[in-house]
Amino acid sequence: MHKIIKWSFETFFGSIFNTLITLISLVIFFFLINSIIGFIANSEWELVRVNRRLLLIGRMPPEHEWRIWPILWISSYLVFSSISAWASPSKKDLLLISIGIFIVCLIFTTSATFIFVISSLLICIVSYGISYFVCKNIHNNYYKKFLITSWILLLPIIFAILLLGDGPKPTLWGGFLLNIILACVAIGFGFPLGVLFAIGRASSLPAIKVTCTVYIETIRGAPLVAWLLLAWFVLPKFLPEFWGINNISVVIRAMIILSAFTSAYTAEVIRGGLQSIPKGQLEAADSLNFGFITKMLLIILPQAIRVVIPALISTFIGVFKDTSLVFILALTDLLQVGRIIPEQSPEFFGRQLEALCVVAFLFWIISISLSSLSKKVERSLGIGIR
Amino acid sequence: MQKKAKKEIGKEIITTTDVTKFFGNFQALKGISAKVYEQEVVVVFGPSGSGKSTFIRTLNRLEPHDSGTIIVDGVELNDDVKNLQYVRSNVGMVFQQFNLFPHLSVLRNITLGPQKVKGLKRSEAEDIAMDLLKRVGIPEQAHKFPSQLSGGQQQRLAIARALAMQPKIMLFDEPTSALDPEMIKEVLEVMTELAESGMTMICVTHEMGFAREVADRFLFFDEGLIVEEGTPEHFFTNPQEERTKLFLSQIL
Repeated sequence: MHKIIKWSFETFFGSIFNTLITLISLVIFFFLINSIIGFIANSEWELVRVNRRLLLIGRMPPEHEWRIWPILWISSYLVFSSISAWASPSKKDLLLISIGIFIVCLIFTTSATFIFVISSLLICIVSYGISYFVCKNIHNNYYKKFLITSWILLLPIIFAILLLGDGPKPTLWGGFLLNIILACVAIGFGFPLGVLFAIGRASSLPAIKVTCTVYIETIRGAPLVAWLLLAWFVLPKFLPEFWGINNISVVIRAMIILSAFTSAYTAEVIRGGLQSIPKGQLEAADSLNFGFITKMLLIILPQAIRVVIPALISTFIGVFKDTSLVFILALTDLLQVGRIIPEQSPEFFGRQLEALCVVAFLFWIISISLSSLSKKVERSLGIGIR
Repeated sequence: MQKKAKKEIGKEIITTTDVTKFFGNFQALKGISAKVYEQEVVVVFGPSGSGKSTFIRTLNRLEPHDSGTIIVDGVELNDDVKNLQYVRSNVGMVFQQFNLFPHLSVLRNITLGPQKVKGLKRSEAEDIAMDLLKRVGIPEQAHKFPSQLSGGQQQRLAIARALAMQPKIMLFDEPTSALDPEMIKEVLEVMTELAESGMTMICVTHEMGFAREVADRFLFFDEGLIVEEGTPEHFFTNPQEERTKLFLSQIL
């Protein structure tokens, strides 16, 4: 105890410079605490509590609300089974995940949804346990292959659940759900496309190289908002009237533009990774008579992607947040909901900060999950260590 | 001399005629005509920049030659992809920088070729791989990663990887030049055993002791041409050309 006091005294007040810094820091610190306490005391969290449904699923009609639960169950199952199968989380990781989920449930559970939330939590725990025991005791890869197949099928399944049986039109999808779906589609299609464009741009065949370069540079040449507006306004004028192309839902157009955008940026990130591969790797693969596809898939791409995982995850986090820009297409995503709530009812007029706090928190949860995923992947691939 | 009696030098397996190679304006090979016979061990040596690495890299078309003909095992090396694939499946190469696949385990480095190119089943490929690992002396490292091995072990792994494709000819491009002195011996032992088992080998090396013991023929390169060729004894006792004498005096 004495040691701590002595150390504190020396560190904080040891010299005149240290003392000055300490005093300035204390002033700033107290100012911040004062502001935060003032905000919390005066804030009206009621508006968040009342509009929870709006924040999470936007303007989806109440009669279709039941579709959310199967989606939540399947997603929870996949996420927690995957965490257990591949991430081997430490006790600290599990604790943090539990706290995060607990806070989110606390904020968003209503009496009506209580049962569903509890059942989702149960599925989380049970799927984690099942995955844990299966992977520990059964030493083949069937369960992991099953999980991978399920992940690939996840998007089609979600679409099926949302649309089958005369489901709500995609333009009614909104809130957090919309952001997540858009991000999953953008990354799910953008990443493989990006890989192809990266390889194409590095190719020696002029036709392929020029096409890929033109594609990447054109898309990077305009902001995403401009591309979305292009899809909304200009496309109908240019495309002929067949296959009901002009009646394609705005959401589908947004997905196409987002995927193209992601693919261009991902292509450049991966091209950087491709350039970092020593020429000797290609020579070794050639001397072993590997075909082009084998060479790319098994030797070059694994090494290229490992190296650029931080930049790649950064791009994906950016894409997830860019999905907010679909507000320009009159879609109500999470941020848009957060902005219009205070204007909806007179009692909450001017209370922007609370809604935006929750919006920011939800965005942050996903971003931090992606970052942690990135760290886990890097650690398990041994980057920087071997 | 007894060990050489075991193998029989066979027919011509590599024929190069007037091969030239340019890098921009610089001519690396100025007309190389050489023959290599089955089960023969040929050592290529010479000062740096003389074109010896370029020469053996043209033999599996890692560098395409600009003029002249190269015929490997009856097949001419040109732009024909089928020819190229035939040649590459029969010629293995070991590099100075090892060029192992860092993201794959030792075993997987070896089994990848046979599995993906030759279509072997995983268990067959692994059997072949373990035999080769025993042959080069590192069977216990099978499940480690290349970066966890020492330089000598890595090069031996590279040799095993090339041998897994069951080539008729092995090319060695300065295999021990990047190794610490204490590890050179273990790699040279593997190469000696390989030579005694009858593999056709073409080595670019500076290890004269090894070359003298194992080689059937020397080729001395200087400035893109073969200046002199002959048996090891010829070179060490009675070199003809001035440039050969100069080079030998510097390295011996």
